[in-house]
Amino acid sequence: MVINFFIVSILLAGAAFLIKNRNVNHLLVMAHSLFTLYLTIYEFRHLGEIQAVYFRADSLSIIFLTVLSLVTFMSSLHYTSYTVRGEVPMSFVNIHNFSTILFNTAIVGVLLAAHFGVLWAMIELTTLTAAMLIQHDRNETSMEATWKYLFVCSIAITIAFAGVLFLGIATQEAQSFDFSFDSIKSVASILDPNWTKACFLFVLTGFSVKMGLVPMFNVDIDAKDVSPSPVGAKLSSILVNAGFVSIYRFYEVFSGTEIHQWMNRVIIITAIISLFFAAVYMLKVRNIKRLLAYSSMEHAALAMLAFASGGIGYFAAVFHLVLHSLIKSSIFFQIGQLHNVFGSKLDIDIKDYLKVNPVGGLVLLTGFCSIIALPPSGMFISEFLIFQSIFESHRFWLLALSFLLLLFIIYGMGSRLLTIIFNDDDTGHKPNTKNARIGESLVQLGVIVAVFYIGFFKPTFIVNMIQTAVQTLP
Amino acid sequence: MVNFLIIIFIITLLYMAKNDVIKQYIFILAFQGLILFVVALLELKNIDIPHLLLILLETLFFKGVFVPIFLYRLAKRGKLRRNYKGLLSGNASIGMAILIVIVSFTIAHAFHDQQLQIKYFTAAMSAMAIGFYIAVNHKDIISHLISFLVIENGIFLLSLALGSEMPMFVNAAILLDIFTTVLIMGMFFNKVQQYFDEALVDKLTHLKD
Repeated sequence: MVINFFIVSILLAGAAFLIKNRNVNHLLVMAHSLFTLYLTIYEFRHLGEIQAVYFRADSLSIIFLTVLSLVTFMSSLHYTSYTVRGEVPMSFVNIHNFSTILFNTAIVGVLLAAHFGVLWAMIELTTLTAAMLIQHDRNETSMEATWKYLFVCSIAITIAFAGVLFLGIATQEAQSFDFSFDSIKSVASILDPNWTKACFLFVLTGFSVKMGLVPMFNVDIDAKDVSPSPVGAKLSSILVNAGFVSIYRFYEVFSGTEIHQWMNRVIIITAIISLFFAAVYMLKVRNIKRLLAYSSMEHAALAMLAFASGGIGYFAAVFHLVLHSLIKSSIFFQIGQLHNVFGSKLDIDIKDYLKVNPVGGLVLLTGFCSIIALPPSGMFISEFLIFQSIFESHRFWLLALSFLLLLFIIYGMGSRLLTIIFNDDDTGHKPNTKNARIGESLVQLGVIVAVFYIGFFKPTFIVNMIQTAVQTLP
Repeated sequence: MVNFLIIIFIITLLYMAKNDVIKQYIFILAFQGLILFVVALLELKNIDIPHLLLILLETLFFKGVFVPIFLYRLAKRGKLRRNYKGLLSGNASIGMAILIVIVSFTIAHAFHDQQLQIKYFTAAMSAMAIGFYIAVNHKDIISHLISFLVIENGIFLLSLALGSEMPMFVNAAILLDIFTTVLIMGMFFNKVQQYFDEALVDKLTHLKD
């Protein structure tokens, strides 16, 4: 099935590159999203089955595949509207849709990979396809962002590859030459800890560019800012998840070894520095898309803090990333609309959004409440679990520091977004209400309400899936 | 023989750190491709034919011929003769590069690992670190592209530390990486030149918080 999926994806991408009919072209991307959903259902029925030597689905793959299908479908809907509103030339649409299908396919590859080499190759493919998505508008800023993204990501992925090679050196000592997860896991306890530490350090550094964490986060922020909102939504959600899964695979393999606590310390250092940078920049940034990009960095950092704390933290990290993906993509879509209404991304140019576009304003308000984890939003529950896990790991200094940084983040976020939503002084740009799309906003609102429901009622099926996904961790 | 070639490779790295002429950069990259081919040929004795062909393709054809020609055309089209002077001067850069080699050797030695081939590890780490140094020290985009290729050469040497048991995917991955990245970077290099007067990182400052 996986191979069939890849073949069909390549064919669909080829068709998206060639077909000049706008509607048919958009339908191809939607069809690919639905096909991804079908693949998810198929893989769910064949959990743990090795396919095409290098691929296998587990509960973690299924969870993030489902999120991928939903976000990409919504993204394709919003991009359709984006091209009509912005009068985007057909050649731009061709390249965007071609890249989108390949990008989604690469993410599927990352989620289903059962081999470190294949995992790395798929992450590499996400870099190249994401670069084509980022350069969408083909102006100075998009070219700058694309160049930076491509260069820094290439370096980062090369660093990660060095990590994979260190793992190779370690496994050679154990007379094992297979890079599959199972094979490495079976010999993990006898691997030289110096090499496994070097491997994890390099892999974490390299894949941090995908999760948007320190040290390679900055190009990620630029990319989310200049790309169209449907692309920014994907970079902020499914790409972050793919980065998480990549790091998770290495972590899981080494978690039964003596370097487990060392890995936790390294992750905590990375996460808390990321949280610090997010807090500092969110106090100063005026561009709403960049604000959201830093917010993604914040949530990725929180998920990693929970992950490194262990216990309930494993569950909390995955749960938090799922909810964040849905909420953040909805807000990104709404920011795209807001940009069209006011012709600006700066908070000083946008005023009284709730009055100008009531449904859109409501999306932004509920999205804001969710993203800062205000009860009863779903993310309140996941953040509560995150802090519970940090508390249970007895890292009280970390808990206090995280709370302090979150205060700054909430202030930064609130002072910008609430001004946009409620401030009714007439210093902003004149809004063009024709660009407000109620239908789109209702879809986004529906997703946010669903996240409220998932977070608060924690459906058994989702909880069981996440618990099964993390049960292999100590 | 292999030791001699590795020493020559390290000397080329030192020269690269000091150099500021684009043509010479490109020539050295081609020469490094040739060195890597001979080293791989001498080292990987029990290698099968498909694996050998892949390495031949990767080192001799790709690193030694295709990429240098591609870079030469880019430089010619962009009328680039020298890269912009770095933060550190030529002699200071050589000093820095020597320091990097010494540190790499010390780290390799400190591992006390039976499996680890110190010569490869030293050369690999040196290439990666000097690649980073070139990227940080120079502001022009073509230097960044070259620094990436130097880092990739380091990665190739690191893969040789895995010896003849090196899985084929390692080579396939490096080849894929260079092929796609260099091609796409090259394409964007042209685009960036269209939008900015000079291919300088200093000009890429539109994106701010």
